[in-house]
Amino acid sequence: MKRVLAALAAITVMVGGCTKQQPAGQPDLGPIQLLASGSPDELGAFRALIEAYKKAKPGADVQLLEASSAKDLTTKLSTSIAGGAPPDVFLMNYRLYGQFASKKAVEPIEDRLKASKVIKASDFYQQAMSAFRWGGKQLCMPQNVSSLQVYYNKALFAKYGVAEPKDGWTWNEFLTTAQAMTRDAAGHPVRAGESEGGPAAKAAVHGVGTEPVVIRVAPFVWSNGGKLVDNDQKPTRFTFDDKASLEALRNFIDLRIAYGVTPTDDEIKAADLVSRFTKGQLAMLLDSRRITPTLRAAKDLNWDVASLPRYGNPAGILHSDAYCITSGSKHKDAAWSFIEYAMSPDGQKIIAATGRTVPSHIETSKSEVYLDPTKAPKNAKVWLDAVPTLRPVPTISTWAEIEDAMEGILENAVNRGDKLDGVVAEIDKQTKPMFARGLAP
Amino acid sequence: MLRGRFGGPARSLGAFFVVLVFVPPLLLLVSGSFHEPGRPPSLTPQLIPRPATAIGYELAFEWGGLLRATLNSLIVALIAVPLSVLVASAAGFALTQVSRRVRILVIGASVAALMVPATALLVPRFAMFRWTGLTNTFVPLISPALIGMSPLYVLAFYLAFRAIPRDLYDACLIEDLTPARIWWRVAMPQVKPVTSAIAALAFVTTWSNFLDPLVFVYDRDLFTLPLALRSLAALDPTDFPIFLAGAVFATLPAVVVYSIAQRRFLR
Repeated sequence: MKRVLAALAAITVMVGGCTKQQPAGQPDLGPIQLLASGSPDELGAFRALIEAYKKAKPGADVQLLEASSAKDLTTKLSTSIAGGAPPDVFLMNYRLYGQFASKKAVEPIEDRLKASKVIKASDFYQQAMSAFRWGGKQLCMPQNVSSLQVYYNKALFAKYGVAEPKDGWTWNEFLTTAQAMTRDAAGHPVRAGESEGGPAAKAAVHGVGTEPVVIRVAPFVWSNGGKLVDNDQKPTRFTFDDKASLEALRNFIDLRIAYGVTPTDDEIKAADLVSRFTKGQLAMLLDSRRITPTLRAAKDLNWDVASLPRYGNPAGILHSDAYCITSGSKHKDAAWSFIEYAMSPDGQKIIAATGRTVPSHIETSKSEVYLDPTKAPKNAKVWLDAVPTLRPVPTISTWAEIEDAMEGILENAVNRGDKLDGVVAEIDKQTKPMFARGLAP
Repeated sequence: MLRGRFGGPARSLGAFFVVLVFVPPLLLLVSGSFHEPGRPPSLTPQLIPRPATAIGYELAFEWGGLLRATLNSLIVALIAVPLSVLVASAAGFALTQVSRRVRILVIGASVAALMVPATALLVPRFAMFRWTGLTNTFVPLISPALIGMSPLYVLAFYLAFRAIPRDLYDACLIEDLTPARIWWRVAMPQVKPVTSAIAALAFVTTWSNFLDPLVFVYDRDLFTLPLALRSLAALDPTDFPIFLAGAVFATLPAVVVYSIAQRRFLR
C-alpha cells in the first residue's frame, strides 16, 4: 500500500503541473473543496468552520472532503492530483507534505500572505511557519503548533505516593519515576531483573508508554546535544552513531529492554497506549495534544500534563498541520480567502474549541479558548512554554517513507532487544537510499 | 451427490470447526456493541456487557450517518450484483462457444488482469471518470460490474459451463436456438450453485468496497457503508462500542446474503 501511495505521489509530478488560473475580475467565491482528515468530532469542527466562513463571506461555496486518516487523505489527494482534479485546499502535517511540495503540487502563498489584510506572518508562531517553507517561500499556513509532552495519571501517582512529574525535570528523574510507578497487581514496585531465575513479576501498571518511532526519540537526541541527521536542510543520513545521539537512543530503548517500564509489544497489541492510560494501567504517556479530547471524554480519569524530561537543554519536537493550496486549484483566490478566515482568530477559535490543537495563532493560543481553566489539562500552558524549544524533523520528500522504515527497525530494537550497533547499521542500510532519493526544501 | 460425499459426521465436524473459528469473534462483536461508550475498553473480553446499552447504535447512526450510507450501499449493491452476475455468466458462456485460440487468448488476458492490483488502475480510472463528469456519483462504484466485477468470476462461470456436456449445446444449435437463448434458457439453469456463489462473492466485494468510494465520492450524502464505518473507526478507543455497533450493522446483510446463497449452493 505504501509503495502504491508513493507511486501515486510520483504520478502527481507529471500531471500536477497542469494549472488553470482564475481570470481576474469579480471576487472569487469558489466553489472550493477542502480535504481534511480526522475523527467525526474534528470533521464536525471543520464543518462548523466552513459554516462560519460562509456567514462571514456570503456567497462563498466550500465543500468539505472527508478522510478518516492521514493515509486515506494521502491516497485521495495523490489520486485526485494525478487525475487532474485536485481539491483546492488540503490540511496536512509537515512531515508528509514534502512529497507534494517537491513535485510543485502545492501553490506558494508567500505573496498572498504579504498582501493579506486579514492575517500577517508575525501573528503566528515562527516554529510552525518555518516548517512549511519550501524553496525559500511560505507554502502553507500552519493551523497548530503541538508538541510531545508527558500526560500523567494523577490518581495513580497519589495512590502510590510518588511525586508527580514537574516541569524542567531530567531524564534520570523521569526514569526513576517510571520505575517507581511500574507496579504488579498487588501494587508492589516491579523492578526488571530483580527476581531470581524466573521472569520478573508481571506489571499491572507500567510507568510510561511511548511508541518506538523516530519522532518520539528525536527530542531526546536534541536535548542530549546530539543531531538527528547530518544536515538539517539537506540530510543524507541519520547520525545515531554520534555519541550523544546514540546515548539518547540507547536510553530510549532501555525503557523496555533494561528497565521494563513500558508495556511489551503483545500488551500494546491487546490494548493500545491510550486505552491503557484511560484504564489506569499506564502512569505516564508521551503524546502530543492530539489525545486531549479522548482523555477529557474518559469518565473518572484524573490527569494532567507535564513537560518532556530533558538531558541538557530543553528540546521539543514540532507537531503541526497546515492548510495548503494545490497548484492545480482553479479557485486559488477563493482558497486563500478561506485560509485567511481559518487562520484568523475567529477561525482558530472554532478549531481550538475541539481541544485537539494548540493554536498556531499566538493571540488565540493565549486566550481562554485554549487555556480554558475549567477543562483538563490544568497545565495546558506546557505546550506554549515548549514552543521556543521546538524543532522540526526534516521535511524532505521521502521523509514519510523514512519514518515507516524507522518504525520497523525501532520496533525490533525495543521488542527483540537487537544489539545497538546492529540497529544503527540497519538504520543506515535502510534509510540512506531513501535520503538519497529525497528532495530537500 | 453432495450429501453422499460430504454428509454425515465429516460434514458435522467441518461445520463445528467453522463455527468454532467464526462464531466467537462475531459474539464479541455483538456483545461489544452493547457496552457503554465513554468507558475505557476492557483488557479481557467481556461477553456480557454491564451495563448493557444500545447507545452505541444510536450514536453510530447519528455520528456515522449509517442510515444514509446503508441506503447508498444497498443501491450500489442492488444494481452492481445482478449486473456483474449477468455479465460474468455471459462472458463465461461466450468462452465456451469461441474457438480454442481465442479462448486461450482471453483466459490468458483474464489471468494477467487478475494480477494487476486494483490500486494501480486508480489514477487512470479517476482521470476517465473525471473526464466523463462521473466522479461524485455511484457510477464509478457500479462500473466494475460492467466487466463482471472480476476476471475470476468470468473464469468460474466458464469452468461451470464447460462442465455441461458439449452434446447439449450441439442439440440446442440443431434446434435453431440462438446462443443468447442457449445461455439463458439452457446453460444458466444448470449452474445455479455457481450463480449463487458468484452473486454472494460479488455482493461482499461491492458491500465492502472501500477504495473506490474513498477516491471517487466527495459528498458525505453519497458515502457508502465502508466509508461511514471508517469514520467511526477514527473515534477514540473509549468509544469502541459505537464502532462495533456500526460493524454489526454492516456485517448483518453479508451474513444474510451468505446464508441464502449457501442454501442454494448445497441444493
